[in-house]
Amino acid sequence: MGMRAETFAPAETIQKSPSSWSILGRELIKDKLAMSSLVFLIVFLIAIYGSTFFIDQSSVTKVDLMSIKAAPSSDHWLGTDLAGRDIFGQVVLGARNSFTIGFMITVFAAVIGLTIGLIAGFFGGVIDNVIMRFIDFVLVLPFLMLVIVFVTIVPKYDIWAFIWIMTAFLWVGKARLIRAKVLAERELDYVQASKTLGTPNWKIIAFGILPNLSSIVIVNMTLNLAGNIGIETGLSYLGFGLPDGTPSLGTIVSNATDPNILQNYWWMWLPASLLILILILAINFIGQALKRATDARQRLG
Amino acid sequence: MGSKKRSFKTLSILMIALVLVLSACSKGTPAADTTTPQTNEATKDTGKFPKAATNQNAAIQGGTMNYGLVSDTPFEGILNPVFYSGNPDADVMQFFYPSLFNADASFNIKDGGAATLSFSEDNKTATVKIDDKLNWSDGNPVTAEDYAFAFEVIGDPDYDGVRYDSTFTNIVGMEDYHAKKAKTISGIKVVNDKELQISFINPDPSIKAGLWSYPLEKKVFGSIPVAKMSSSDPVRKNPVGYGPFKIKSMVTGESVQFEANKDYFHGAPKLDGINLKVVNPNVVVESLRSGDVDMVSFPASYYDEKTLPTNIEMLGIQDLAYSYLGFKLGKWDKSKGENVMNPDAKMANKALRQAMGYAMNNAQVGEQLYHGLRTAASSLIIPAFADYYDPSIKGYTYDPEKAKQLLDQAGYVDKDGDGFREDPKGNKLVINFAAMSGDSVAEPLAQFYIQNWKDVGLNVQLLDGRLQEFNSFYDRIEKDDPDVDIFSAAWGTGTDVNPAGLYGRTAQFDYSRYTSDENDKLLKEGVSEKAFDNAYRKDVYKQWQELMIEDAPVIPTLYRYGLTAINKRIKNFDISYGSGYAGDALAGIELTADKPVTQ
Repeated sequence: MGMRAETFAPAETIQKSPSSWSILGRELIKDKLAMSSLVFLIVFLIAIYGSTFFIDQSSVTKVDLMSIKAAPSSDHWLGTDLAGRDIFGQVVLGARNSFTIGFMITVFAAVIGLTIGLIAGFFGGVIDNVIMRFIDFVLVLPFLMLVIVFVTIVPKYDIWAFIWIMTAFLWVGKARLIRAKVLAERELDYVQASKTLGTPNWKIIAFGILPNLSSIVIVNMTLNLAGNIGIETGLSYLGFGLPDGTPSLGTIVSNATDPNILQNYWWMWLPASLLILILILAINFIGQALKRATDARQRLG
Repeated sequence: MGSKKRSFKTLSILMIALVLVLSACSKGTPAADTTTPQTNEATKDTGKFPKAATNQNAAIQGGTMNYGLVSDTPFEGILNPVFYSGNPDADVMQFFYPSLFNADASFNIKDGGAATLSFSEDNKTATVKIDDKLNWSDGNPVTAEDYAFAFEVIGDPDYDGVRYDSTFTNIVGMEDYHAKKAKTISGIKVVNDKELQISFINPDPSIKAGLWSYPLEKKVFGSIPVAKMSSSDPVRKNPVGYGPFKIKSMVTGESVQFEANKDYFHGAPKLDGINLKVVNPNVVVESLRSGDVDMVSFPASYYDEKTLPTNIEMLGIQDLAYSYLGFKLGKWDKSKGENVMNPDAKMANKALRQAMGYAMNNAQVGEQLYHGLRTAASSLIIPAFADYYDPSIKGYTYDPEKAKQLLDQAGYVDKDGDGFREDPKGNKLVINFAAMSGDSVAEPLAQFYIQNWKDVGLNVQLLDGRLQEFNSFYDRIEKDDPDVDIFSAAWGTGTDVNPAGLYGRTAQFDYSRYTSDENDKLLKEGVSEKAFDNAYRKDVYKQWQELMIEDAPVIPTLYRYGLTAINKRIKNFDISYGSGYAGDALAGIELTADKPVTQ
């Protein structure tokens, strides 16, 4: 009887199991560090993307030989570099470029990785085998070395070329992760039921499996975003990143390869370096919180 | 020490980013050149730099000096004057493979070197006597046979280097030999072991400065087919010379250990050895400060008076080099062995080239970017050739209004309102600019020029959107890559004023591939028998300078001062021109402390 009473409990007391979105949200709110990181990131992004309306790229990248190596002043808030270009403007534009590129690479890699991972995991068999062997092959290649080689031989080098080169290598990790999850997912009853009912495969993948992977995709993308910004700035620092004349945090920091600048002209490299540090830390804090949210044992809330 | 009389007859390529300045061809512009601030006078008094080490302390016995080869790429390792083409290789060779000849302050050959030069009455025959004591460091004597062999190799049709030019074709029988019509070069006669006679078709005043001055050891190279020499071991792995030092060990591209050549013909050098290593320009100042290197040829763009180390001494002299902007106007025709112009080339319009020259603000580049250690160039003959440089030629001074006017008149106008001019047929005009990477101002410099051109409405883009690394830059320029429209580069002029090796019809170094009958005529006149009369020669070269400014196949952009930084323990070293035989200058270097002075 007691059992029965429970079964017919009044509707308003039924607890809907929380959606993965609300779990993610709750975890963020509980973690003060992640929350303040998120607020910072939002404000920061609004600032750098909004400032596009006030800062004219061509004037920031304009070489002005009459004001070389100027120290910070009211004209140039963070001084100027070897070519007389305003550092503050470059940092803003550079942060925007670096973030945009990191973001684009992450999204493209995720889309490709997700598609291929879903196909490989869902269909299995020969398709899975072929795809996974190819992925294994790409994974053993020395990624950074190859990016550097491609960057030097690609005929028309611009931001898009850079994004595609990076994407070409970075989707594989994602595909592998997704495939593993799909392998587990496809054995579950709801998938089997859909198959029995004759639902087309693409519908099962898109409306059945994909939503169940969303949290892991989001977490993984967030953490990758930080990593990709790091790779972009690192390559630009080495001179193999963005094309010349495109400000990036990495190219600004690379001013510091000249020891004279490193020692005597701090404003040419320090602000950009600090910004990279803060940006990547903030994204990482958020990513960590989201990661905990997907694992019930580690949740704070 | 790149600057002690670098008497390589042929031109060495300097690693530098370049620029262009268009010259004032005042066709159709009645207004006189506006006098914008122009810097033909030295903007910085390099008199403030000594030309010789001032160290007066007592020298120690022997010791090893560390020489820094400033380059951001490895040296290629073609360590033979017959085959090399890059300046970093020349920097390595100076220690073990110096020129045979000594030269005076105006770079004419004089006695005191490893060989002497004398002429017959009619100036048609030169006699070279090699010092009796001069030996290769493998023990064989340097013979007249070896010297003749160098001519034979360079004249061989299979020769793959770049030295075969008009100074060689001027030798009697050379062209027949080159065309395989003769087995030997009839104009070159070995008199005895140490004496060689060379006969010339046209007595040529530039022979005195520009005679080929390096022998090639026949005992070593005689058995190697000419086509394979440049890649052979004696060039790449174990090169042998006759200079004051010899190679003990080498990591190609990175470092060379030299030891004293005790058998050096003017007596063993004072040092025990020299360690040469490649130093990235970015770390040059720190390497000097820490005493890691004792001597470097100091890159001007790193000269920052405020932060210079105190443990070094800066020696300065005007460099035998200039930077230029080149326009690709044609192709090298390999079968004919000459340059062929393409009338449809993108840059074929003279007014366009001139306008690009007027648009460039080189005075500001020299003054600001290079701290006054470079100055705007006016002519293709550098001021160091005081007899021939014509200060009345103003060249291409900064005058954007004139540039715009020239472009308007030539039909380059902006028809679609995008801010950039189209070509006279109305097609979009995008000019691809090849510029070298290198020191830290390479990128600002290239961007600055692009900006200058944009100011007059020309759309110039960096080739492939990036700066080109030194070796691939010259590779693409030499092979006339069709993607390259303009390029900025630099020449070391060597010590011969005759520009035929750089701009002649058969000169492979004429990277713009410019040819014209007038040019041929003047270059020929400049080295004719009449030109032994210096006033006549001066006039010919004045006309030639004017022609090159008018036709603008290349536009000289910057002259430069060469700085050599030496540690304060170095003694007895002089970089001024004409101060003595290059090999002896190296042999005479002394140290006054075991360890480098540090700051």
